[in-house]
Amino acid sequence: MSNPFAGWVWNGGTIAFFLISLVVVFAAVMLLQFRKVMYMALSIGLVFLGMAGLYILLNADFLAFAQILIYAGAITILMLFAVMLTRHDEVEDPPLRDPKKWLTALGCLALGAAMLWTIRNTPWSSPPAQPPWPVQKNVAAIAETLFTGYAVPFELVSVLLTVALVGAVILARKEG
Amino acid sequence: MAPVGSFLALAAVLFCIGLYGALTKRNIIIVLLSVELMLNAANLNLAAFARMGIAPGIAGQIFGLFSMTVAAAEVAVGLAILIALYRNRNSTDVRDMDLMKW
Amino acid sequence: MIGYAWLVPVFPLVAYVVLLAAGRKVQEGFAAALGTLAAAASFILSLSIWIALLQGGPQPPYLWPWLTFGPEPSQTWYVGFEVNALNAVMLVVVSFISTLVLLFSRGYMRGDPRFGVFYQYLLLFVFSMLGLVLSPNLLQLYIFWELVGLCSYLLVGFWYFKPEAAAAAKKAFVVTRLGDLGLLAGMILLYLATGTFDYEGIFQAVQTGALRIERPDPAVLTTVAALLIFLGAVGKSAQFPLHVWLPDAMEGPTPVSALIHAATMVAAGVYLVARTFPLFAASPAALEVVAYIGGTTAILGAAIGLTQRDIKRVIAYSTISQLGYMMMALGVAAYSAAVFHLFTHAFFKALLFLAAGSVIHAVETQDLFRMGGLWKRMPITAWTFLFGALALSGIPPFAGFWSKDEILAATLESGHGFLFFLGMAAAFFTAFYIFRVFFLVFAGRYRGERVPRENGWVMTLPLAILAIMALVAGFFNSPVGDYAMARFLGEVPGTREAGTGAGTMVLSTLVGLAGAGLAWLMYGKGTLSPERWSLALSPLYRLSYHKFYLDELYRAVIVRPFAALARGFDWADRVIVDGLVDLAGEGTRAVASGLRRLQTGQVQTYGLIALLGLAALIFVSLSLLGGVRL
Repeated sequence: MSNPFAGWVWNGGTIAFFLISLVVVFAAVMLLQFRKVMYMALSIGLVFLGMAGLYILLNADFLAFAQILIYAGAITILMLFAVMLTRHDEVEDPPLRDPKKWLTALGCLALGAAMLWTIRNTPWSSPPAQPPWPVQKNVAAIAETLFTGYAVPFELVSVLLTVALVGAVILARKEG
Repeated sequence: MAPVGSFLALAAVLFCIGLYGALTKRNIIIVLLSVELMLNAANLNLAAFARMGIAPGIAGQIFGLFSMTVAAAEVAVGLAILIALYRNRNSTDVRDMDLMKW
Repeated sequence: MIGYAWLVPVFPLVAYVVLLAAGRKVQEGFAAALGTLAAAASFILSLSIWIALLQGGPQPPYLWPWLTFGPEPSQTWYVGFEVNALNAVMLVVVSFISTLVLLFSRGYMRGDPRFGVFYQYLLLFVFSMLGLVLSPNLLQLYIFWELVGLCSYLLVGFWYFKPEAAAAAKKAFVVTRLGDLGLLAGMILLYLATGTFDYEGIFQAVQTGALRIERPDPAVLTTVAALLIFLGAVGKSAQFPLHVWLPDAMEGPTPVSALIHAATMVAAGVYLVARTFPLFAASPAALEVVAYIGGTTAILGAAIGLTQRDIKRVIAYSTISQLGYMMMALGVAAYSAAVFHLFTHAFFKALLFLAAGSVIHAVETQDLFRMGGLWKRMPITAWTFLFGALALSGIPPFAGFWSKDEILAATLESGHGFLFFLGMAAAFFTAFYIFRVFFLVFAGRYRGERVPRENGWVMTLPLAILAIMALVAGFFNSPVGDYAMARFLGEVPGTREAGTGAGTMVLSTLVGLAGAGLAWLMYGKGTLSPERWSLALSPLYRLSYHKFYLDELYRAVIVRPFAALARGFDWADRVIVDGLVDLAGEGTRAVASGLRRLQTGQVQTYGLIALLGLAALIFVSLSLLGGVRL
């Protein structure tokens, strides 16, 4: 673990990854640091957008597209709705000297350290230069796999979405 | 191209941040947001392995898509529960939601 | 015909189940009619079986394998039924008396809120008793043996709201249980020794001495087994020293006393000894014990009966005494005489009980000194009671004369002079006490308050039928009837031909007349003052009145120490055992109420704990896998 950047090549991809990572981690930390709930919701939007960038770096164009649509778009907006429907001036209480908080932080750090250590000590094969699918035909490749090999899960997911829709309506409906 | 370990490390960091948020934040909306963050971190792993895992392939992205769909459903139901709770208890503080006691 | 013998107990069982299903609200008339008809059907079937047996001779038992747990013949247990001369007689007696008692109860129990339940119990008893008689082996007999004991308990305690009745039921159950324990032990011993529960198999093994147990030698083993079986009979048939439950059992309704505690269940002990007679015949020592226990019981019961004030208790002691006669007869190997006495005694003792029940029903007291002068008011009851009394006293030509005479003659013949003397003395006492009852109840002036009236036909008809039987039943085995019963019962190895010498006949008649005459002088004519006599014989009188203080003795020697021991165990159970249990419970609760505070209901706390656990797991597994070297 002497040099964390051993084997690291500075080029366009890695610089982009570095920058986006910084943004994402910054936004994630800010998510926890902001007081106003509204800002928090906006900062997670930023995280989602950064994620989409990372997907593009990974040659997952369709995934990035879906990420922007579903997460950065729908879910963030939904969260904002929820914030405004409850108390949109909601302010998170100032942090207390809560031992539980420290314990949680310790646990998270330990977990993260374990994961990072494992990642570090796992011999990864060097990444292939080209993705295992035609770069320009990512959507077509996904569609083909999805509708041939994964047709049944796909249908099941559509059922799940329907159930979630109905369930959400019933749960959120005013009683009486 | 950044090596796979970098993506995984980023995902691990995001996951831990999300975990910390989910376990410490008082506002239930933020808890939900933190959970979404954790889900995203997992998704990033899927995408990274799809591109340059031990057995790279398009299936990883498909998994990611499914995971997103499930996350969307989860958010919809979660928010509906949140609204119902807020209507009943007039609060979004998770500490008020202790019906699991005894 | 004999193949249908299993139907005999089935009739009352069906009636029992029907009444059980009908519940408590059943109409009195329906319950009584159903019960009586079921018993009557059993009686008719028993009678035809008897006739079939007379014509066709004995048949082997009908057996079905019940439990098979190995290849050996001894590892299969059988159930079934058998009909032989002895139990054919028993079947007829039991079903006949049952029919009459079930009819009589219609009047006696009229208006009781648990009328239907009473008939249920009675029918269950009739079923059990018939099943007991039909059993082809000891195991099945034991099952029914316990069932009749249960019915006796239920019926003695039928008026359980009376504390005396509840205590009497308990006493009856516990005391007979002592005997049952002996029967069980004897049964197991015989099974171990012979490998079978079947009567014939046991007899063969015992007679040939081919036992599976080496030590002690067969003679001792046979004696021990016979005495254990006899212990069961002692309990059931209320023989000294386990006779104490029977007088107390008189707390039950009088029809119960007539059926169970006079005619049938108490005779089951005699039946058991008679049925297993070859076993006893193989052991002279056991026979001697049976004879002396029987003789002691006969004189003891009669002596106590002399002074009791309660009409039912007098008759109960009389029953004990008569059962003693039967045992004595078996002890001197007068097999047919014993069975014959069982037969006649069933009729006249049931008659006496039912007549006493009729009196009690009319005057609503059991105290002899609050009755009197009922001869005119209750003529049928009075006449039938007189018949019963004459039969019991052994006045010719009534039934009791023939059977008792045979027993006494056989005793003398077998060389038991002392037992003969005891039997004669008991006969004198018997005549005295039963005519004391007769004169106190029916002669003189009425001393009660309630105006007594003769009861209806459902009560007097059984009395009349039984009175006829008390008169004629004796001829079956008399010189007049050419000893028909002895011939019917056939040859049982080791038994004695019962003959009646003219000498004993005259002597026993004179003794009976003397006893009755003395009673007449004391309580009928009033020439002799009973009070002065009892004062003159004060110690003896008190001994008799207090039943030789046996209850007190048992209470002091057995009941008290056991009660003290039980209290000790009770204390240990409550304080130590329960304390430990409570400690476990309270400790758990204390720990739980502490741990309960961990359950805050906060999902985030739970999540934190799960996270810490996960982290710990990861580190443990990583270090175990050799990954982490800290």
